[in-house]
Amino acid sequence: MIWKDKYELGVELIDDQHKELFRRVDAFVLTLRSSASWEEKVKKINETLEFMNSYVVEHFRDEEGYQKKISYPGYEVHKKIHDDMVNYVLKVTEEYEKSGFNEQLMQQFGGKLLSWLINHVAAEDQKIADYAMKREVAESGR
Amino acid sequence: MADKLYKPFLDATRNVFQLMLDITDIEELTPEGPSYDDGVVISIGIIGDLTGEVIYRFPKITSLGIVNIMSGLEMDAVDEFVISAISEIANIISGNVLTMFAEEDVKCDILPPVLCKSDKDRDGYATCCITTPAGDVRLDIILNNAAK
Repeated sequence: MIWKDKYELGVELIDDQHKELFRRVDAFVLTLRSSASWEEKVKKINETLEFMNSYVVEHFRDEEGYQKKISYPGYEVHKKIHDDMVNYVLKVTEEYEKSGFNEQLMQQFGGKLLSWLINHVAAEDQKIADYAMKREVAESGR
Repeated sequence: MADKLYKPFLDATRNVFQLMLDITDIEELTPEGPSYDDGVVISIGIIGDLTGEVIYRFPKITSLGIVNIMSGLEMDAVDEFVISAISEIANIISGNVLTMFAEEDVKCDILPPVLCKSDKDRDGYATCCITTPAGDVRLDIILNNAAK
């Protein structure tokens, strides 16, 4: 999972958090897809999942704070996308723990997370950057 | 009806491939092509002003190619991870189409992706086939106006 410069929004805090998310998800996917046995992988997988549960919430909160600061008109829609993802991560974590760390559940989670994160950063978050740029241009023209 | 739905799905697929995979070299194929049942076949149900479903057919080579581009890892089999990643892409394409529909005041919602294990014969649908450097994709769009 490769970070690309085109994903940058131009907001240092958010860009740094996105890069950290990419690094963590990349490490998660590498472990998930390695040829080691599930017993060997499960400790690292569980640590990453625990990190994701806290870091994703923190990142979404910071990003939503930035959206409010710039009066982003898509705030409510974007917040719903974040809330849905947080609920999905919580639901999967609960099912995974109840199942006694079932590998199939994590493989499904990893696949969805990979596509979701790339789309979210490459498409949804870019709308915030586009709006911020237009706003900056409008303000500098006053 | 079916033909009017073709363009939004084609445009949305192009957008998603461009944004997520950096694939811009996308060409249409004749709809009489193969049904691509060997790979990942996903159904996304649609409800609202239009009802029905869209069947996304990603052949094995396309599915593995897409996941390779996104993860940087070589994939050799269509497994739970690949199916889930491809299902999410079908979900994202459908979400983009819904945004286009909403701009035309057509209000719809999508249902979670479902893996199709056996295929049914259907009539009266539009088929959108594209070829990309990551492989081919076929969409069967089976949508009708909701009964009032």
